[in-house]
Amino acid sequence: MALGRAGKTLHRMRRDNAFYLAVAPFLAIFLVFSVFPVIFSLYLGFNRWDGFSDPQWVGFENYARALRDPVFQKAIWNTVYMWFWSTVLTVLLALAISVLINDYVSFGKSYFRMVFLLPLLVAPAIAAIVLRMFFSANGGIVNLLSGAISGTPSYFDWLGSEAWIKPLVVLLVIWRWTGWYIIIFMAALQSIPRDIYEAARMDGVGRWAIFSRITLPLLLPAIAFATITATLGGLQMFDEPYVLTQGLGGTNNSATTLGMYLFATAFTRLNFGLGSAVSWYIFAAVVVLTLVYQASLKRLRGDGA
Amino acid sequence: MIGSLRNSEKRFNLLITLVLFALSIFFILPLYWTAVFATRTLNEVFQFPPPLWFGDNIVQNYRNIEAVFPPFRPIINSLIVAVPKTIGLVLVSALAGYGLSRYTRAPGHKAVLIVTFATLFFPPSLALIPFFLQMNALGWLNTYWPLIVPALASGFGVVWMYTYIGSTVPKELYEAAEMDGAKGIATFFFVVLPIIRPGLAALSVWTLISTWNDFQIPLVVISDGSKFTVPLALTTLSTTHYSDMPAVMLATLMGLVPVFILFALLSRQFIAGLTAGSVK
Repeated sequence: MALGRAGKTLHRMRRDNAFYLAVAPFLAIFLVFSVFPVIFSLYLGFNRWDGFSDPQWVGFENYARALRDPVFQKAIWNTVYMWFWSTVLTVLLALAISVLINDYVSFGKSYFRMVFLLPLLVAPAIAAIVLRMFFSANGGIVNLLSGAISGTPSYFDWLGSEAWIKPLVVLLVIWRWTGWYIIIFMAALQSIPRDIYEAARMDGVGRWAIFSRITLPLLLPAIAFATITATLGGLQMFDEPYVLTQGLGGTNNSATTLGMYLFATAFTRLNFGLGSAVSWYIFAAVVVLTLVYQASLKRLRGDGA
Repeated sequence: MIGSLRNSEKRFNLLITLVLFALSIFFILPLYWTAVFATRTLNEVFQFPPPLWFGDNIVQNYRNIEAVFPPFRPIINSLIVAVPKTIGLVLVSALAGYGLSRYTRAPGHKAVLIVTFATLFFPPSLALIPFFLQMNALGWLNTYWPLIVPALASGFGVVWMYTYIGSTVPKELYEAAEMDGAKGIATFFFVVLPIIRPGLAALSVWTLISTWNDFQIPLVVISDGSKFTVPLALTTLSTTHYSDMPAVMLATLMGLVPVFILFALLSRQFIAGLTAGSVK
């Protein structure tokens, strides 16, 4: 019986051998360059290693040490701040813009569909360079403008300011990413059948009621997708704060994210074990938040029905 | 009565359109100003009100970049990475996507599919440190291999091609090909590839642009300035020649032009790529 089953599987495998040939290149590269490093990272997290001498097994010491480090604690707070505000503001702004374009704009629709997308073509690192130029203390356009308004020349150091650097990172993320979510929401909006709206209008349902009772529930999957994507990016944020602060993390680490902490620990302080432990903390955060989103999406849908 | 209601509605729509237009200025102004400043002198850039139209200092600004590095070298370096990676990634993904969408009953099919989807939720930072050590062990540091070879296996690319092939290639076609005696892999190259060309184009644009914009992995792997890709060269220039804003802006503009040309030619495919992930 068991033999018959194995024989059947073997027969299937022989008949569908092209399947294995087709996925082999992907799987081989994936195993060598993704699966192996991830497993190795798990091992590294339990060791102290500088890359030269022999690794030293330390158990959970790296995980405990990270938690005790005030810079790591600050990096958690900074990451949560940037992730939260960039996700909320980007998704809300994109939602508002796409609904407005869809419902109210009667001419120039293709202009609006393109224009918000252009920043997405700009590398985060390059966008950060441009933002640096505009917010530079000495002759940056923002200071020139505020100087002209107030009448006295302004030399405010935006990028060195502990209070402003995080909002600037958020601004950069909003500028670059809103267009993507607009495209996603527009696609979702267009898949909603027109006659639902027509019927609601005939029944005298107001605009806000149409939005909150019809549009919003139908957009929920798209909003969930956008939020999860923004969260995956937000928790690992590196390019934007790194370039904005020239790799230093800003005054008193006011813009150091977990990704930057990981980078500095591994590649400037050559502490590969501690860096790996940090990467598992990031992974845990991603898993927890994804599960939370999925659970809450299920509940929202359940309530709607 | 109804006429005036229509009128007020129209006026409201116009108002919303104008507000959106003002908002859109905020999104393009930084790019427009980058282009304007790239053509201006240092003095003009620091004036108030700032210049809103192009100047005539672009040649001098170009010379100023030239004094630091050959301005086209980072662009060529980025092409050396992006072009082979894109071709390879698209082929590997299409082949795997074909296997997954055709042979749904092959033993192990489900496992491969689950693993591929799971990679979408894996933060790349998890592998960053061991990846660096691995590249070091292979002697690949400071070469382009780490930016090309490992990137060929893209879970995102496979998921995309899997859904694309599943929705565009009819199952009967496989049966017909089998009747004609075409083997599985031959069918892929001679029957499937020609049909899925639009999907290949979309994945190519998407891969080219995101590779062009990659920062963290090149930063970790490449240390020799003459091998810097565009984002690396620009961040270095913007730190070392911080005060020469027009030159930095011109170099930035040059690094953006290839991406914008590609987008102008293939924006439809690029947008198809943006929504690909959200459909499921």
